[in-house]
Amino acid sequence: MSQTKSLNVDYNYTVVRLFALTTVLWGIVGMTVGVLLAAQLYWPALNFDTAWLTYSRLRPLHTNAVIFAFGTSALFATSYYVVQRTCQVRLYAEKLAMFTFIGWQVVIIAAAITLPMGISQSKEYAELEWPIDLLIAVVWVSYAIVFFGTMIKRTTSHIYVANWFYGGFIITVAALHIVNSMVIPVSLTKSYSIYGGAVDAMVQWWYGHNAVGFLLTAGFLGMMYYFVPKQAGRPVYSYRLSVVHFWALIALYIWAGSHHLHYTALPDWTQSVGMVMSVILFVPSWGGMINGIMTLSGAWHKLKTDPILRFLIVSLSFYGMSTFEGPMMAIKSVNALSHYTDWTVGHVHSGALGWVAMVSIGALYHLIPAVFGQGRMYSTKLVNTHFWLHTTGVVLYIVAMWISGIMQGMMWRAVNTDGTLTYSFVQSLEASYPFYLMRFIGGVFVVTGMLVMAYNVIKTVRAKQGVLEPVAEAA
Amino acid sequence: MDYATIHSFYTVIILVAFVGLLVWVFLIKRKPDFDDAANAIFADEQKSQQKQQQESDHE
Repeated sequence: MSQTKSLNVDYNYTVVRLFALTTVLWGIVGMTVGVLLAAQLYWPALNFDTAWLTYSRLRPLHTNAVIFAFGTSALFATSYYVVQRTCQVRLYAEKLAMFTFIGWQVVIIAAAITLPMGISQSKEYAELEWPIDLLIAVVWVSYAIVFFGTMIKRTTSHIYVANWFYGGFIITVAALHIVNSMVIPVSLTKSYSIYGGAVDAMVQWWYGHNAVGFLLTAGFLGMMYYFVPKQAGRPVYSYRLSVVHFWALIALYIWAGSHHLHYTALPDWTQSVGMVMSVILFVPSWGGMINGIMTLSGAWHKLKTDPILRFLIVSLSFYGMSTFEGPMMAIKSVNALSHYTDWTVGHVHSGALGWVAMVSIGALYHLIPAVFGQGRMYSTKLVNTHFWLHTTGVVLYIVAMWISGIMQGMMWRAVNTDGTLTYSFVQSLEASYPFYLMRFIGGVFVVTGMLVMAYNVIKTVRAKQGVLEPVAEAA
Repeated sequence: MDYATIHSFYTVIILVAFVGLLVWVFLIKRKPDFDDAANAIFADEQKSQQKQQQESDHE
């Protein structure tokens, strides 16, 4: 299906190729660190009494690697690809685009060195110290110039909806990053936030939840609005809905952050606003999910033969699950049970491994042959193998965390008739223990799938130009 | 103007803007324009688009 004939436009695929390949590489690295962490929770001796390998230092390395190295590289690759092809024009400021690639890799390597050393601002998903934050800001502004510059010099009259989502993501992440990274440096490796107390917490979670809402959602929805219709070979279910989806999503997401701070020192009304906004957010989220899945309406048979489409559509199912679960967990009474338990960890991974990773992997399987001058991936069978490995891994992971999380919540709140706690913390930990093994096994499945992908990608890239013919459409 | 008043105005403006968006999308803008926009991603594969057309004719 993925025909690559262009309208005589000479697109710049160099940067797209580089970002696409590093996405696979950083995906393997980030997820392997995740598996190591899962193993450490089951076999604590695996930190080998080395400070560099302790859970507390590797955990931010894992989250930064999967969000900013794997996920964001996928966004760079696909946004540069999509903006060129839908605007039918070559990339604007190509040297600057190359700078975004090199700059972003430097950020990633700097993170991989400083985080295990324990150099951290201790803000979740914003751990990197101020010199790296400055580089991120410069790279991000360059990214905006390249992306919007390309959009401005487009030859089409309409800006396709995917570009709206990518554009919204780029602008908002710039604002989030700059505001949350306001610090007073005291040395090269140490700084203090200019905000204090509850304000600092609110700014952090305004940042943190919108990193989820704009980086991990809006950006990947841009990906969805291009690659799902393209791979399915039919236009998106409702373009009208996609316009409403965009404005509703960006107008609501920005208010939901305070649900991360239920029952804290944050004013009560702020918590309630966050809760209400999170619950309303369910509406545009499901609107978008239905719009994506219904694109296949009348062509469901394609799911049987096309594992790439399966990746994309199952990613939307996980998106639907996570965006139902999220609003529910943001309700204060549910949050009283779920917060600080493994349920949160399960929710995040259903979003990250189910939605973000699967839509990225599907998009890459579509994009890599196209930018390397091939008609298809080296092996469609291996794409299918990857699909089942990944799906099995994700399901094992999130089911383990659901059970463990709800059990922890129940055990922590159980009280005897005299008002004392029924269980000690260690007892809840012991109850969770088998599920930590199950999570580890799930993680191994996911990483194995990524290795299969790497092999398939290397074979595709190395094949002679045009040798891999597109699969004939099954009638 | 105090904080609460500014935010009250802000809420009303956002609501009006959203209703305006709905009116524009569903009443003013014509469906064929949106169909063209939705099909724009296939502009780079003319051949397979024709194939699509035939395929949907069969349905």
